[in-house]
Amino acid sequence: MPKRKLDPMPSAAFEILLALTGDDLHGYAIMRQVAAQTNGRVRLGPGTLYGSIQTLLEGKLIEEVDRREDARPGPERRRYYRLTAAGSERLRFEAERLADLLRVARAKKVLRGEYV
Amino acid sequence: MSEKLYAWLLRLYPANFRKEYGEEALQLVRDCQRDDKGFLLRLRFWLNLLADLAISLPREYRRVQPEALRARAALGPDGSPSFRSLPYAPPRFGALFFGSVLSLIMLSSIPRLIAHMGNGRPPGVPGPWPSPAQSSNPQGAGGGLAVTAGEAPKLDAAERQRVVEAVAANLKKYYVDRDMAIKMAVALAARQKAGEYDTLTEGPAFAELLTKQIREVSHDLHLEVIYSQRPLPDRPAGPSAERLAFYRRAMQESNCTFEKAEILPHRIGYLKLNSFPEPSVCGPTAKAAMARLNGAEAIIFDLRDNRGGYPDMVMLLAAYLFDHPEFFYNPRENTSERLWTRSPVPGNRLADKPAYVLTSARTFSGAEHFSYGLKMLKRATLVGEKTGGATDVGVFHRLDDHFGMGIRETRAINPYREPDWAVVGVEPNVKVKAADALTTAEALAFRVTSSLEK
Repeated sequence: MPKRKLDPMPSAAFEILLALTGDDLHGYAIMRQVAAQTNGRVRLGPGTLYGSIQTLLEGKLIEEVDRREDARPGPERRRYYRLTAAGSERLRFEAERLADLLRVARAKKVLRGEYV
Repeated sequence: MSEKLYAWLLRLYPANFRKEYGEEALQLVRDCQRDDKGFLLRLRFWLNLLADLAISLPREYRRVQPEALRARAALGPDGSPSFRSLPYAPPRFGALFFGSVLSLIMLSSIPRLIAHMGNGRPPGVPGPWPSPAQSSNPQGAGGGLAVTAGEAPKLDAAERQRVVEAVAANLKKYYVDRDMAIKMAVALAARQKAGEYDTLTEGPAFAELLTKQIREVSHDLHLEVIYSQRPLPDRPAGPSAERLAFYRRAMQESNCTFEKAEILPHRIGYLKLNSFPEPSVCGPTAKAAMARLNGAEAIIFDLRDNRGGYPDMVMLLAAYLFDHPEFFYNPRENTSERLWTRSPVPGNRLADKPAYVLTSARTFSGAEHFSYGLKMLKRATLVGEKTGGATDVGVFHRLDDHFGMGIRETRAINPYREPDWAVVGVEPNVKVKAADALTTAEALAFRVTSSLEK
């Protein structure tokens, strides 16, 4: 089932994978990172964020990591997520697909100016 | 607060999602609340949250579905279809309760929405702006000409130039204070030269900016530039015979918007009036209503749903509250004869009785005229909410197909220190929610009348 849900990959899922290419992040940090990498255009709400995380977990594209050293006492303990090897692979695939599209768009002079 | 609200919203999600991510989602909301300070950020956050809810809720529920789909497709070992029941727990009590509260809220909002949409000006009251030739004019329910949203043609430099010039020309020609008119014209020209308007391509924004700027120079709130997406008619329509006939019929059908005229317990007179209708049509109804209340010991005018009307009716009703002709300010009028109430009214016993006016945020225009006048004369106690602040901008002038402006051509001297209701509204003497205004006024009236008896 998860495979079908990630094909084609929803933009939220793609943004999350992209956000996780650096460090392992928890939910809120992912949200901030996504906002930063899209110039504030995309702000994932909690429902979309955790829904997508669940789908990505089911698809084994990301995994939960235990970061006990970071754990604060009480209910504030957060779950961190990390890109899996399959996740990186899939991310590269998606990025290439987008790059192909971009090439076509450039060839058709959809974009203004020469360099984007 | 936000966190609690979101905790409630979280209950809308399927149980397994809540169990798995509920705490994390709440933590996220807490984080956002901590980092997003300031009203706009908060607002954006909530809009974002609601949009997120709308998108992610169906998805989470769809996630539960495949299980059911698989079950239907499964075949028994011998190839025959088999039936399985899914082990589904019955809905929790909490979920049922939450569901019913939500549906109640939605259901009860429907009549409110309908009432809100239907709350334009009373049927058939002609528009707020009369033709320049007219003198006795209805004060319409605020808002001016309908400005409809949607695809609007963009403004170009030529049109901006034309509008600015037309505004200046009309001000010079019609505004009461010629020196001030020139000052305004000069200010607009300077701003245009400085390129302040060059980036404005939206009609409504341009009209709003011009309005703000001429008001800044003149400190006169009775000036306004408006934009209408629908082309403005060449000549503003006066009240044609047809329109008058329609108005007359509408007034007859609605008892001239005198919704109630009755004596409440403790001999408190109560008049609920939803517009100030034209006296030539509704004079007899108004007089009959006032006669019915003549024996009251105090009188309450309920203007909470009153969106305005004709100044003559304002004067006609106000006359009942005085035993001698009283000056009753009207920003539109400077002929002294029309600014004095025709008091005393023969046979009237209300002239010295305590009076109350109930107001709401939807009390507009003519109703504000009535409230403001009585408040300034200290003749009535205003109970309720601050009024709407309808701006009466005098006579309408067409600038081009889409722009027009209102200029007050008469200057009435406002003898009071408090500016009139234009834009700012009238503050009540006793501030309560509109819904509680009647009970409050009744209690006040009862206290006053019973102490008078002693």
